[in-house]
Amino acid sequence: MIEALLQTLLNGAASGGVYALVALGYTLVFSVLGVINFALGALFSLGGYLTYLLMGGRISANGGLPGWGLPQGLSFTPALLLAALLTGLVSLVVERLAFAPLRRRRAEPLLYLITSLGAGLVLVNLLQMLMGAEGYAFPATALAGLPDALQVAGARIRSVQVLLLAVCAAAVIVLTLWLERSRSGRALKAVAEDATTARLLGIDSGAMLRLAFLLSGALAGLGGGLIGVSISLPGPYMGISYGLKGLAVLVLGGLGSVPGAIAGGLLMGLAEALVPGDASGWRDALAFAILFLVLLLRPSGLLGRRQVEKV
Amino acid sequence: MDPALLVQMLIGALLGISVYLPLATGQLTLATPAFYAVGGTLAALLSTRWPVLGARIDGSFPLPSFLLELALGGALAGLLALLVGRIVLRLQGIYLAIATIALVEIVRVAILNLPFTGGAVGIFGIPQPFPSAAGYLLPALALLLLAGWVCQRLEVMALGRAMAAVREDELAARCMGIDTTQVKLTAFVMSAVLAGGTGVLAAHFLNTWNARQGSFDSAVIMLAFVILGGSRSWLGPVLGGLVLTALPELLRPVGDARLVLFGLVILSGPALFPQGLVTPGLLERLGRLGDPAGRPGAEGSRP
Amino acid sequence: MGGLAVLGQQADPAAKAVPAADAPNGALTIGGVIALTGNANLYGQDQRLGISLAREWAGSRRRQPGEPPLRPLHFQLQDGGSDEATAIAGFNLLIRQGVLALIGPTLSQQAFAADPIAQRRGVPVVAPSNTAKGIPQIGPFISRVSAQSSVIAPLSISEALRRDPRIRRVAVFYSQDDAFSTSETAIFQRTLRARGLTPVSVQRTQLADNDFQIPITAALQADPQLVVISIQAVGGGNLVRQLRELGYRGAIVVGNGMNTPNIYPICQRWCDGILIAQAYSPELDTPVNRTFRNLLRGSSPDRSPSQITAQAFTAYQVLFEAVQRLQRRGGLENVNLGQARKALMEELLAGQYDTPLGPIRFTPDGELVQGQFYVAQVRMDPGGRSGRFALVRETGVSGGAGGSASPPAR
Repeated sequence: MIEALLQTLLNGAASGGVYALVALGYTLVFSVLGVINFALGALFSLGGYLTYLLMGGRISANGGLPGWGLPQGLSFTPALLLAALLTGLVSLVVERLAFAPLRRRRAEPLLYLITSLGAGLVLVNLLQMLMGAEGYAFPATALAGLPDALQVAGARIRSVQVLLLAVCAAAVIVLTLWLERSRSGRALKAVAEDATTARLLGIDSGAMLRLAFLLSGALAGLGGGLIGVSISLPGPYMGISYGLKGLAVLVLGGLGSVPGAIAGGLLMGLAEALVPGDASGWRDALAFAILFLVLLLRPSGLLGRRQVEKV
Repeated sequence: MDPALLVQMLIGALLGISVYLPLATGQLTLATPAFYAVGGTLAALLSTRWPVLGARIDGSFPLPSFLLELALGGALAGLLALLVGRIVLRLQGIYLAIATIALVEIVRVAILNLPFTGGAVGIFGIPQPFPSAAGYLLPALALLLLAGWVCQRLEVMALGRAMAAVREDELAARCMGIDTTQVKLTAFVMSAVLAGGTGVLAAHFLNTWNARQGSFDSAVIMLAFVILGGSRSWLGPVLGGLVLTALPELLRPVGDARLVLFGLVILSGPALFPQGLVTPGLLERLGRLGDPAGRPGAEGSRP
Repeated sequence: MGGLAVLGQQADPAAKAVPAADAPNGALTIGGVIALTGNANLYGQDQRLGISLAREWAGSRRRQPGEPPLRPLHFQLQDGGSDEATAIAGFNLLIRQGVLALIGPTLSQQAFAADPIAQRRGVPVVAPSNTAKGIPQIGPFISRVSAQSSVIAPLSISEALRRDPRIRRVAVFYSQDDAFSTSETAIFQRTLRARGLTPVSVQRTQLADNDFQIPITAALQADPQLVVISIQAVGGGNLVRQLRELGYRGAIVVGNGMNTPNIYPICQRWCDGILIAQAYSPELDTPVNRTFRNLLRGSSPDRSPSQITAQAFTAYQVLFEAVQRLQRRGGLENVNLGQARKALMEELLAGQYDTPLGPIRFTPDGELVQGQFYVAQVRMDPGGRSGRFALVRETGVSGGAGGSASPPAR
């Protein structure tokens, strides 16, 4: 009984950690700009492919570039960090192309949904053209030295999932500390809370916005790379389902709330882990049913600020 | 042009209007694919499992039964919207949008898991009320004209003006004595009826129906119909639906890169046409053309 | 409506006369509608490769002395996407361009949408990968070369039980939103029940799932001795790997969706030992399969032969051979396109074919009759990056088209 409970908790934490990471990516941009960046799922995929390439992985691009790859691969940790940074930079490009033109015109926030969806479509289909549709797996040496799985009081979890959870937790802690303690972090929070006052305080809101996009993309890239080493790269669409789940988590926790995103992610993971095997076909509906119920009881999410968000 | 593509474009236009209707009350709901899926599933079930409707062994289907299905599909979707709408329409802004996306996902998983909807394969061999794809042009066009006529009538009806008032400022509208909940719900139900009917049409047109019809992706693409077409008049989503449905097909000569280009159009469209293709200015010029006396407009009859 | 009817007639090239084989425009066109975009692209790429190899093969065919000239064939490829609407558009486009026959679409769900169009216009369709129940029954113009796993799926279960007759506790995994996997698992489970085995755990997953921590730990609590998997290649590879990582040591039987070398890089050394029933074995030692493998090695040295590629090759091969037989018999002289399409369909169904899949023929309604099926065991190289499907059993199936069992669907 204890064993089963512990297993459920581990299972929930393992998937919940990634959901939280994606939701945080949404949260950063939402808190500053008040809109959802639909391209985040595609950036998640991109992070996985970039990590793979940087580690010296070979691609074939549907036979167009058989066996192509970097001459020299990095080891896993530097590759993951560099891929996260590069994904962050691509996220800046997305901001430039999909968000900046609308912001200059003070366009309706609704338009951002469409342009960011377009950016995501371009990214995913470019990945499919350039990398190919086939699955790629990281070299077995990526996690050399780790055992296949860990056993805790009879409950089992794959080592890579523990690593994933640890990196997610570290990323969340670093991000929170940075937001609370550092000058730039506090400036970002200030812009998120009240852009006008922040401007009066001399904070460059444009720079903060770009920072938010950079970080959000980097988080997505980090998530993609980690998931990639756990489940390989099943194809350019791998990030889309995480993007959708992350969206549910984002709203579940409350838009723009960092602790909300984390709590929402863990809650969602746990709820999925609790679905009995016989009903496993309904698992995906459960996540959204919970979201539905929470929204009815608390229309601004679990930890959201009570305010009317205009989209 | 290929009649089948024209039918698909008209279906796009109908779904565009379905997303537009709640938006005309300022409510961003993305539930249209859910109601589309409900209508399609109903049609697929009725026409293949209910012999009373008269599906024949050669795969043909009586037109009156098809019309009956259109009505039933619309009614079922509308009923569902009436139940769900009372609850979700209390939500605001992006919360409403996400709650309706949740509805889409729940309906999709339900259709996949229910014991009588054919699982992943879905329902196939749906009988045909018309001998060829061109036959569907007529009902699709009729449905579009009907929807357009209703939207056009709304502009001069009290309900339409109430919808506009709620869109501009919900609080002010309530102060003016408008039952804002009722207005929003009515628009939501109309949207669902249209989506359900369109689903019935699509199920016969596609010959088959499964849970993959009506997904999250399609919800956002339908929103793009409205945004790129223009959200200030029903003509906007119609134009957006026609153009964006045809575009991937017209881009076929480009080959493998066609969806990249399609994404680029969606990415750059709102920046180039922030008010959509059918702008208020264009509408005004159109209105002057069509009605020399000027449109009976805002100064009409305020309560 | 009158105007629409005219529109329809103008768009229909069926009334156009078929040119003579040695005329400058004597080539006839075969159309292909396969998934070049969307998430079925994984199969579409293998199919594109298979068809291009078959065209290379056909191009090297020589006219036998004393025979009339070969009828040249063009090939026109259209993206069928991964959804129903795009497949319909692809079919319509190619039919309007006057193709003689069509290969495709990639997914069964798409076939249920697009095949009725070809049927109404009288255009022969050879499906390279649709295995849902009821595909050939769409109409007389619809046929397929994709095997019926109602016959092959039970073979791998039998092999597992033969190796360890003490197996009592079986866990089943399948992706419930995939047409192929849901019908295949039904056959797997029926086979198990016939052997007196009730699954101790049935786990439903989604096509997009790749992290199986939750279903695996749930299934392992029932302590299975055999795991039976119906999941497509990448997800299935992940499931096998994660099962092993989480400590499962028993036998694994996987479905036909994993009969592709694409699984090697995913489950690496953890793939070793899994049993699979195959409709295509790369190890089949016949001239045409050797040719197929040599052509593949020549064009894509980094790819190993997969079932999807071999089936697409076969789809083009049967059309090519049927056209040439019809040509030799004079069936393409003084006919219009519509008559040629009908004659081709009859010729296609009447023939016997020696293909990379082994010897095949069709039932009168277009269902495939395949003579040989295979059970293989995956043997991974020491490095764990590549391996092979080692043939452990070859089963001849005499005459039957699968009897009453329902074939799974891709």
